[in-house]
Amino acid sequence: MIVCIAVVGHQSFTEADDALKLHHIVHCSLDVIDERVNNPKKTGSTLNETYLGLLYPTENYKVYGYLTNTKVKFILVTTHLDVRDADVRNFFRRFHSAYVDAVSNPFHVPGKKITSQTFAERVSTIVKSFGLSSAV
Amino acid sequence: MGREVSESCVDNLMIEMVSAYCNRFYSTKPELAARRIEAIGYQVGHQLSERYTMERPRFSDHLEAIKFICKDFWAELFKKQIDNLKTNHRGTFVLQDNRFQWLTRMSIDPSPANADLSQDSSGETAENRAVQITSMHLYFPCGIIRGALSNLGIPCAVSVDTSNLPASGSFVVRIKA
Repeated sequence: MIVCIAVVGHQSFTEADDALKLHHIVHCSLDVIDERVNNPKKTGSTLNETYLGLLYPTENYKVYGYLTNTKVKFILVTTHLDVRDADVRNFFRRFHSAYVDAVSNPFHVPGKKITSQTFAERVSTIVKSFGLSSAV
Repeated sequence: MGREVSESCVDNLMIEMVSAYCNRFYSTKPELAARRIEAIGYQVGHQLSERYTMERPRFSDHLEAIKFICKDFWAELFKKQIDNLKTNHRGTFVLQDNRFQWLTRMSIDPSPANADLSQDSSGETAENRAVQITSMHLYFPCGIIRGALSNLGIPCAVSVDTSNLPASGSFVVRIKA
């Protein structure tokens, strides 16, 4: 069960003082995803989007979830206030494609952190274009 | 975004891989060679299933996943689907491919190299050798199937049914409950 943290918006990946908060958010959203997955509702769709309106005392984040067929979860935390549904789906589709390419690396050990430089570059490209497109 | 290679390259790679593992790396221990080949197939199947399930809705049960393997996954790999799928509804599936691509070009060499064997037993040992050699080549696709299914959350054991070689390859999938 791999978790990819994608942070979009006013923060970057390597923001040290927010790391703990982000971990907390991600763990909470994992619980919500598990609840939805074990729910006997048979929607059967991959694009399991869990839109949580998580509010924090000083800042508010939106958290989106995406579940693949192989039980890999992507979690997107963003501070954008007016994110469109289509944008997030688009983001996840491109992120999924970059993830599949990174995992197909024969030197990648499944279960360990992805250390590919190409993957990091592709993800930052996707992140940047996500910010621009929803600034309309 | 990916680059492509010709099919004959892949065929040759498969043949060379089996030959290298059986004759050079583990020439005295064919079971170890078989397990290494199957492990390589496991990793390949794992990664390929990640790629080929990208756009699809999630599978509701085991049968859906096996059907995906038979149709879409096999079509992506070999440009044809599995010809026959049988099940006993208790966790065992038999996937039968009547013209398995990696075996179509295989010829069994009735070599007179074992001329010192006695006459009456040479017939059946040639047959056994043929079965043994072709089953070596089937460990890799067994591994692919096992890797793909375990990535979809279904632990299983895949083996080969050797009754019909080399006319058709049958893979027996037993789901571990």
